[in-house]
Amino acid sequence: MSESQEDKWGIAHVFSSFNNTLITITDLTGAETIVKSSGGTVVKQNRDEASPYAAMQMAETVAEEVKAAGIAGLHVRVRGPGGNGNKSPGPGAQATIRALARAGIEIGRIEDVTPIPHDGTRAPKNKRV
Amino acid sequence: MSERSVTKQKQGKRWYTIFAPEQFDRAEIGSTIAEEPNQVIGRTIETTLGDINNDAGANNTKLTFKITDVGSDSAYTEFIKHELTRDYLRSLVRRGASKAAATITVVTTDDYRVKLQPVAFTTKKADNSQEHAIRRVMIDLVKEAAEERSFEELGDSVIEGRLSSAIYGEAKTIYPLRRVEIQKFELEARPEELAEEEATAVDVDEEDVADDVADD
Repeated sequence: MSESQEDKWGIAHVFSSFNNTLITITDLTGAETIVKSSGGTVVKQNRDEASPYAAMQMAETVAEEVKAAGIAGLHVRVRGPGGNGNKSPGPGAQATIRALARAGIEIGRIEDVTPIPHDGTRAPKNKRV
Repeated sequence: MSERSVTKQKQGKRWYTIFAPEQFDRAEIGSTIAEEPNQVIGRTIETTLGDINNDAGANNTKLTFKITDVGSDSAYTEFIKHELTRDYLRSLVRRGASKAAATITVVTTDDYRVKLQPVAFTTKKADNSQEHAIRRVMIDLVKEAAEERSFEELGDSVIEGRLSSAIYGEAKTIYPLRRVEIQKFELEARPEELAEEEATAVDVDEEDVADDVADD
């Protein structure tokens, strides 16, 4: 029950769109943030923010801080933009999970929490070239 | 940059171990960090049934607990929500089969108001009338179950699947069913809140209602 036990768990909230990836690590209730990171912290060009490479770099730095906070494992909640936008997580999601696991963090449940409307606003019209 | 802020924040913060209510044998669910014990109250934590029972097969059920009481380094919770995972529900949906779902709000014997969402999956396409009949059975059985059970007992029967198998037994005579589940069981109001609503409710005469409609 003390901190020496080092078997605490947290939740990794991974928001992954086609334009960026946001990683937020919280405790199990989601009320206390431990670390957060986004694509802009590791790459210079805006278009690279969503890249798997950026996600890997972020996950590595995040993993170190997580370990420093005494957390050994993470449940993962991935989400895409959702709503009337894209329902599937972007390119950074998978890379993040892989990199976290490679960095020696135990991965628990992986869940998709993309917000799905039960009929909301109208979807944007098709993009024409 | 963030390294410093994290260490700064961590000073004076304590970990609290979260325990499940008696209904789930006071199992340890996890831990949370906070500066003040008061901050911990009201936080919610989500686990799976498998985590609590140490049964890896039951990971399609999510249970949500809300912290109501805090001790020196432990927090005690109440059960507020049962939900099936999205991927499990999606895996039950098949092409060419029907799904009958209902949302029912009931009041238990100990004055808890809860919302239940049973859902039934048929083997083949069912007629509209058959779907209606299945829904009727669901509503009747759920109301019947709530009339004779307390919040805790109703929660148990939902989690252990007794309520869904009762619906299955009744509704399969209407149309062959593949599976019946309770996809959501949620606490809406506690006895105190229900009593307060009752006290503040205003009686409306039938005449007034009719007048209002006429004005429009």
